[in-house]
Amino acid sequence: MRALLPIIRLLLTASPWAMARGAALSVIVLLMGTALLGLSGWFITATGIAGMAGIGIAFDVFRPSAGVRFLALGRTAARYGERILTHDATLRALAALRVTLLRRQARLGDRDLASLRSEAVLTRIVSDVDALDGVVLRLVLPGLAAFVTHVLVFLALGWLAGWPVAWAILSGYASFATLIFWRLARRSIQPSDAVEAQDQMLRRGVIDMIRNRQSLILGATLGTREAGLMALNSDTRKAARALDLADRSAGAALSALVAAVTGLALVAGGWMVARGFAGPAIGAIGVFVALALAETLLQLRRGFSDYGRMVGAARRISGEVQTQAPIPDSPEADLITAPVLTIRKQKLSLDLGAGQAVALTGPSGCGKTSLLMQIAGLANSDAITILGRRPGDWPEAALREVAAMVPQRSVLIAGTIRENLSLATDASDDAMWRALTAVALDDVIRQRGGLDAKLREAGAGLSGGQARRLTLARAILKSPRLLLLDEPTEGLDPGTATRVLSGIRAALPQTAILAALHRGADHSVFDKRISIDL
Amino acid sequence: MTCRKHQKIPTAAQRASARIIGPVSRPLRVAGAFAVLTGLIWPLQAATLAWAISGWVSGDMDRTGPAALIFVLGGVLRAALDHRAGKWLFDAADQTITRERAALIGREARARAGAGSAEIAALIVQKLPLLQPWITRYHVAMVRVLVLPVVLLILTFWFSWAAGLVLLVAGPLIPVFMALVGMAAEEASRRQMDEIGSMNAMLMDRLSAMLDIRLLGAAERAAADFSGRAETLRLRTMAVLRVAFLSSTVLELFSALGVAMVAVFVGFTLLGAIQFGSWGTPLGLGEGLFLLLIAPEYFQPFRDMAAAWHDRAAGLSVVADLDALDAAERVDFVGDAKPVPPLPGPLTLLLEAAVAALPGREVPLPDLRLTAGQALALTGPSGAGKSTALAAIAGLVPLAGGRISVCGSPLDAGTADAWRARIALIPQVPHFPDQTLQDWLDPDGRGADPWPALQLAEAQGIVQRLPAGLDTRLGETGGGVSGGEARRLMVARAILSGRELILADEPTADLDPETAAQVIRALIRLKESGHSLIVATHDPVLADAMGRSVEVPS
Repeated sequence: MRALLPIIRLLLTASPWAMARGAALSVIVLLMGTALLGLSGWFITATGIAGMAGIGIAFDVFRPSAGVRFLALGRTAARYGERILTHDATLRALAALRVTLLRRQARLGDRDLASLRSEAVLTRIVSDVDALDGVVLRLVLPGLAAFVTHVLVFLALGWLAGWPVAWAILSGYASFATLIFWRLARRSIQPSDAVEAQDQMLRRGVIDMIRNRQSLILGATLGTREAGLMALNSDTRKAARALDLADRSAGAALSALVAAVTGLALVAGGWMVARGFAGPAIGAIGVFVALALAETLLQLRRGFSDYGRMVGAARRISGEVQTQAPIPDSPEADLITAPVLTIRKQKLSLDLGAGQAVALTGPSGCGKTSLLMQIAGLANSDAITILGRRPGDWPEAALREVAAMVPQRSVLIAGTIRENLSLATDASDDAMWRALTAVALDDVIRQRGGLDAKLREAGAGLSGGQARRLTLARAILKSPRLLLLDEPTEGLDPGTATRVLSGIRAALPQTAILAALHRGADHSVFDKRISIDL
Repeated sequence: MTCRKHQKIPTAAQRASARIIGPVSRPLRVAGAFAVLTGLIWPLQAATLAWAISGWVSGDMDRTGPAALIFVLGGVLRAALDHRAGKWLFDAADQTITRERAALIGREARARAGAGSAEIAALIVQKLPLLQPWITRYHVAMVRVLVLPVVLLILTFWFSWAAGLVLLVAGPLIPVFMALVGMAAEEASRRQMDEIGSMNAMLMDRLSAMLDIRLLGAAERAAADFSGRAETLRLRTMAVLRVAFLSSTVLELFSALGVAMVAVFVGFTLLGAIQFGSWGTPLGLGEGLFLLLIAPEYFQPFRDMAAAWHDRAAGLSVVADLDALDAAERVDFVGDAKPVPPLPGPLTLLLEAAVAALPGREVPLPDLRLTAGQALALTGPSGAGKSTALAAIAGLVPLAGGRISVCGSPLDAGTADAWRARIALIPQVPHFPDQTLQDWLDPDGRGADPWPALQLAEAQGIVQRLPAGLDTRLGETGGGVSGGEARRLMVARAILSGRELILADEPTADLDPETAAQVIRALIRLKESGHSLIVATHDPVLADAMGRSVEVPS
């Protein structure tokens, strides 16, 4: 339950006014439904008595029958309004939640981002958020409406039809329905978690099996893998069966409960009539009300059988997110006098000013990438300052304005060349072409149909080296004060590598450039070479 | 729609029903019969209530106890029947989902079609369970709607033709409205589905590029783009919901008005204000209450049906996906991929006028001959069929003509598995499954020490540098290691497999010369340690290192 509270708060406060109106309407719907059946029952019984007594002419038929029609129409209209209001408010809140989750995903550290399995995150943002729409729509609001309705009906019934009938209905429904729903919620948790976990495993297993097909065939393990996946299927189906059983048992218990409470109301009503405390018409109201109140409970069944799924989703969503510590007050960035970048480590000391370029060299694995990630603020280090301020003390947006980085395994997005280039910044076509020329890619792009040529998923459609150069062009367009490049020439032949490095320098004359390279560091653009082994 | 004209050809919906509903029609019929039975108990319960309450008016108070007992027993019986029928329905859905899953799992990796792996996984994991509500709810709702309203209508007519007429008019109007609303709903949900698809694709793409997006400071822009998509999805979803709510409102309206009109009519008749509407004997209180109690149940099957209509539409769309996948062109491989002892005899490979069969085209392969300990490079322009040749040698692609002989016997279904037990393949694009490096390097679980192989492949340093060492789980495409490092890890894996013939597809593609040299050195060491080697490449340095080249004609 605790996992659901933040979600409930989020959903209710997103558009509180719409939610409040929706909640009020949902109570009205239930009350009107109950009143409709109660009034109709009373009306027929009363008219029957009046007819038999021969005083039919004196009976006021118009007010009750107008009441019946009003309740019938009003209930329908209120139901429509309630649904539209609450669903719209919920969907708004969930759309915002999806965006928040994506944003939080972007704030992860370097290692988490590099080993991100996009499938798993996609499931979080799509299906877990979907699972949460029931929290308010099928649990909180109907639960609240049922509670209010039962209390109001109890009071009205006690006043109108006598307290024995009112007590019979309230005690029967309140106690047993609570028990049934509590049990359903508890029984749904474990199988829901199991279904979720096994479905994830099944999904990963299927993707791995297909992508790894050749290796499985060569290793003669395809059959074993298939059998393993079918075993997973039988596990997930077993859990689904447990969920179904819990749901059906609760359904059966609820419908037996409705019959029992109606029977009880009949006995209580009969007792009142026999003792002369009430007339037959008043006595009958309880029976009809007991029947009508069934609706308040039946609509909660689905919410409670999804309870486990909702709790799991809420837990995963909140568990995934470690909230970042707020950025403490720190010295103002020294934009004028401080060097763009300073590093004061035990084995490495560096001051990098505007317009300078330094190559970091060293065998692979010596820590070049880690150092760049520290400078970019994705990993912690105290020994680094950018414009006089540590990367961790910079507000995220401001840091990205100052420093841009092209990581080693850079990825493009599906869409046009133009969309890829304008991922981070708006740029004119001229600027885009200048950036493409700088990385010696303009001819290739022209051959492919210009800036509007389309790339497929993850930028497929360009060779490795071409994709690399496009990501470099993307960073040039950002024109940062500090540009960090991780193996910018990997996958390029020496001639192209030289042209690209010169092109970047020429396109960004004022930018401080720090490039990690394991070859080509003797290029003339670099003012200095530092060999590191951290 | 055109199918309607030729009655013999079943429509897509009929074929879908035959596929999904046909095999489980027996339990569905039984469950449907139970559901009808459950519905028929209600008139009995209603009659008992009416009988008891009319007893209160006539002064016969002794009816209350027995009536309450019968009513409760009836309710418990209904609950029990529903519970039981639910089990059969779940079993039927369970069987169906498992059957379709088994078919997909047993086929999609063996014979590849064009569909992406994520798409197939979504079909297997997320979409197949959508068949369940169709199976468990729609069919039963259909049976109930065909029987129960008719029975209740007859009962109503029995007591009063006017009340019966009210129901008769209100009931069939419902399907008319539903049909109108249904057409609008279909269009709206199709657009919603499209939007879900494109939102997912965009999200997937942005998530894959998240590190770049962050480092370029584009996170806010990406979030804003995504926010637009999420907002569009909300609007599309609301459009679907509006239609759905409208249709259920129409249903509720008819049902509420029907019940209200019956109640008012019965009341007026009992008062004597209305003289028409019943057969000779005027309506009594008991009959009146009975009519009031069964009126809502008359509408209930229509409402259930409307709710289940959406389940059917969802189920049909899943079947459409399944059908599309069934119809896709596939490339099967040779053999069964079963573990068998390696093919005996000295290693030889001979290709003679072999032609590989790919979907829609045939690729002629070069003639070549290779014996144990030899190395050779397949060269030629991109797209000539170098990768296809490697796949055909591994029996991953069937032949349309010519022959491939392995160790003296033809490569066919009988020998392919045993042949493959002697070869290993290093693919061009690395794929790291979600397992630790330790398990990945040693897929047969033989517990071999990976370090010598890693050293041979110059991959020792790569693993030592990873914070979790051999326990590291790399990202899908090897996030955490560079392209050249991923290749060297794959070489180490091929060495560890203990296979004699190593096939490598473009092992130096997209690598700078220095990294490529590392990979080439690793491959040469492989050859020196007694392995046979075939590489597909357009890298002249690598081709020279192999000593022998065979040109693949374009």
